[in-house]
Amino acid sequence: MCTPQQHPASARTARTGPPPATDRRTVLKVAGAGGLALTFSTAQGAGSPAYAAGNRDRRRAYVLVVDGCRPDEIDSGLMPNLAALRAGGRHFPRAHSLPVMETLPNHVMMMAGVRPDRSGVPANEIYDRALGETRTMDRPRDIRTTTVIERLNRHGFRTGTVLSKDYLFTIFGERATHRWEPFPLLPVTDHAPDLFTMEAALGMVEEFDPHLVFVNLGDVDRVGHSDLTGGSLQVLRRAALVSTDLQVGRFVSMLKSTGRWKRSIVVVLADHSMDWSRPDRVVSLTAPLADDPFLAGKVAVAQNGGADLLYWTGPAKQRERGVERMLAVARATPGVLSAHDRARSPRLRLGPNAGDVVAYCRAGWRFSDPNVVANPIPGNHGHPATRAIPFFIGGGHPAAAKAVSSTLATTVDVAPTIAAFFGLRGAPRGGWDGRSRI
Amino acid sequence: MTTTQPGRPAPAGLGRRTVVATGAAGLGTATLAGSAALSPSAASPDRPGAKPRHRVFQHGVASGDPLPRAVVIWTRVTPTRSATPGLGKGPRTEVRWEVATDRAFRDVVRRGTFVTSAGRDHTVKLDVTGLRPATWYHYRFTAAGQRSRVGRTRTAPAPDATPRNLRFGVVSCSNYQAGYFAAYRHLARRDDLHAVLHLGDYLYEYEAGYYGAGDVIVRRHEPAGEMVSLDDYRQRHAQYKTDPDLQDLHASAPFITVWDDHESANDAWRDGAENHTPGGGKGGEGSWRRRRARAHRAYDEWMPIRLDGTARLGDGTRLYRRLRFGTLAELSMLDLRTYRSEQVSVPVLDPAVSDPDRTITGREQMRWLKNSLSRDTAQWKLVGNPVMIAPVTFAALPADLVSPVNDVTGLLPQDGLPYNVDQWDGYTDDRRELFAHIRDRGIKDTVFLTGDIHSGWACDLPFDRGLYPLASETAGVEFVCSSVTSDNLKDILGVPPRTASVAVERVIRAANPHIRYLDFDSHGYSVLDVTPARVQMDWYVIGSRTERNTPATWSRSFATRAGTNKVVAVDRPVR
Repeated sequence: MCTPQQHPASARTARTGPPPATDRRTVLKVAGAGGLALTFSTAQGAGSPAYAAGNRDRRRAYVLVVDGCRPDEIDSGLMPNLAALRAGGRHFPRAHSLPVMETLPNHVMMMAGVRPDRSGVPANEIYDRALGETRTMDRPRDIRTTTVIERLNRHGFRTGTVLSKDYLFTIFGERATHRWEPFPLLPVTDHAPDLFTMEAALGMVEEFDPHLVFVNLGDVDRVGHSDLTGGSLQVLRRAALVSTDLQVGRFVSMLKSTGRWKRSIVVVLADHSMDWSRPDRVVSLTAPLADDPFLAGKVAVAQNGGADLLYWTGPAKQRERGVERMLAVARATPGVLSAHDRARSPRLRLGPNAGDVVAYCRAGWRFSDPNVVANPIPGNHGHPATRAIPFFIGGGHPAAAKAVSSTLATTVDVAPTIAAFFGLRGAPRGGWDGRSRI
Repeated sequence: MTTTQPGRPAPAGLGRRTVVATGAAGLGTATLAGSAALSPSAASPDRPGAKPRHRVFQHGVASGDPLPRAVVIWTRVTPTRSATPGLGKGPRTEVRWEVATDRAFRDVVRRGTFVTSAGRDHTVKLDVTGLRPATWYHYRFTAAGQRSRVGRTRTAPAPDATPRNLRFGVVSCSNYQAGYFAAYRHLARRDDLHAVLHLGDYLYEYEAGYYGAGDVIVRRHEPAGEMVSLDDYRQRHAQYKTDPDLQDLHASAPFITVWDDHESANDAWRDGAENHTPGGGKGGEGSWRRRRARAHRAYDEWMPIRLDGTARLGDGTRLYRRLRFGTLAELSMLDLRTYRSEQVSVPVLDPAVSDPDRTITGREQMRWLKNSLSRDTAQWKLVGNPVMIAPVTFAALPADLVSPVNDVTGLLPQDGLPYNVDQWDGYTDDRRELFAHIRDRGIKDTVFLTGDIHSGWACDLPFDRGLYPLASETAGVEFVCSSVTSDNLKDILGVPPRTASVAVERVIRAANPHIRYLDFDSHGYSVLDVTPARVQMDWYVIGSRTERNTPATWSRSFATRAGTNKVVAVDRPVR
């Protein structure tokens, strides 16, 4: 579940216009096509000739995240540009997102190349034990590892982020050399429409020509969340697919018309897919947890749409019993697919920020905490039903040569792929959790 | 041409020479000719007028269940003239076996001896281990001074390999009395098959003279009676394995098989079968469990398969199993007879078809299957599925066509069962549970490969048939191969192909928009090609099943592209 308004404790600062630049950055306002005003912030010194001369590598890598896109939607006939890009590149049809199948952890995994137990970001919403409240993981310091963006920066490569969602913009902070500050942000969805996002991506490439540009296109996800016909006609969703595909087409056309295509790779993937639930298929664990005599008052819940994270807040010496009770209560609740003792489920690799118990809902259901009306959104993700994603590498560079592979690819593979493409040596301490897919 | 001569098929050596003489082309011909050259009967023809030389290897060779480093090889020896199948006679016999990387056996990589006896009907079955993944091998046996023909087999790719493709022959429902196994012959001529999937009804239990090609018995079953005793089952297996086309196919590639019902008795279920009369006395066929145990014992003896994970006999009868082919595919072969509840005995409106206490898989196999599908080990989840899983309604079918359709889909004339309740449609709670699992876990690329109903189908598998295609989410797809020889709709109606069946197909497809292809008229085989981008099934149809040398032609092809869980038409076959 991605709607920040439902989390008043979020640490995010609401914005109504472009934020001011920080002390260490400069702001550049550019007129985009159609007269759109684009605001980029740039690290100080990045615009100097010396900086620009630091790395003359002509290769370019673009990561386009079609947020919330399902792999079958590429084949729907509504996304011909993406289908063509996929058909000409390296396709990984077995790809999937990683727990928790939410936006923030998977975008962080893409750029960090490590799983949440190392990146520090397991979900969109967590219970912050220090604060004593739930919050969105939208702070730059929430990422506790070095991203491939910073690695490229250190080697003199220019990097850019064009992220349509406000919380993505804030969590990646000032890591990139150049960043677009999403605007206009739509009310409720807190994201910039893809038309503006793509305008910014084109402007970013034209103005700064970064070696790496990390783009999030949010319309497919944001429209999908609110599509009341998601379980059948998907009227709004389909319209968004068409629209977003057109924006991707514009980007590819730009690469080809400017001569960048032959020296570029375009990594296209989603952070998760989407599942729709009916109003009567809602799971709210807060009440049954509170009704349990042992658990009452000792559990915090961070709701993530298709997943609930449960945190034991009682005495430490009672934690083990508390976890057992939380598991029992969750598993006995209709609509819950599974519940896992996070610490004893090493394959989840979520780390302590994910709490003590991770509960997933079934397909066609959603979590809604603290009560059944807290999450009215029909489209959700975070549960296993939403793990399949598109993942392919297009572009004219030989690294994107046409192939289809049965190899398992995941979101955590993006960073090592980018690193390999640019020939970066080394890896995070402890190594990448993903693998290069070129 | 129809023949009712009940005699045995031509000797294997003669059959192979005949293939060459009729001008079969390509590598397949070379393979067959080479096989003949190694046959004692071909190498040392008997002198005219002399007593035919006793042939030790009368039932061919076979291999199956390929793993990355192991494969099962099989043969049956007849050490003396009296040691015929099912009679329990003949001496213990030592059989030497060899496995080589080349056809001339210059590079033998494994060899050994195997002692067989009447206690196992003189069958030889062993698991050859220590092999290399994704490698072609040749194998042969030697006993009593004679050498078997050479078989060719192939190991599966290594678990972490990323094969460019896999290619399987797909067959089911081969009724000896209904015609010649031309489908097997045409498949055997291909040299591009990594394995052959036989999805059940490899042989039929009926007595001689019952259930042939419509009213015509093309070849008579042996033994003459319905197979009930262990000796019966052994002799029937032996008869089928004298078929030259089946021998050639077995020798050309490893088989991966499941049984359906006719390997034991029609419409078998956990505690009985439609074609089983329990009890003693006149007409009584004894205990079903004992009869089934005998059927399973003979199957274990005569088929190149691992039951309970081993090639040993008598250590278990668990048929369902997984076979993995690198990261590209994992094949889960099902047993939908041994653990199922009894079929409902009234029309499909009986609410019992959705009773959660009834099962087609059994609880343990259902857990196993769900685990198979949710494992992250391979891209394509192929399911060897003996009976059809796609939901089918035929409410709009004219009443006078219901009975013939029942006959086809119920497998037999006069079987009395309504349409499809012998299949997953009769156990809808199991299907609901399986599809819910697929949906809950976000599982993609599941392909059910099915036999049983003597017709070709390609279907989407909607989660909600009522909303399809409005809500077009699907659990996967299903490809159903036609029968090798068993009766289809035109056979039962007694009409020419593509006449009466066409209307039936249209009605069924109109009422079931998730069915993308349906051919009620053809016999033949299919070829399944698996790549990371798609799985494609090609349907080939034979001419007349009553003519031994009938040709085969490509009919239709359908595919499912990765990630879509949908069927699309393809305009040409692979290769």
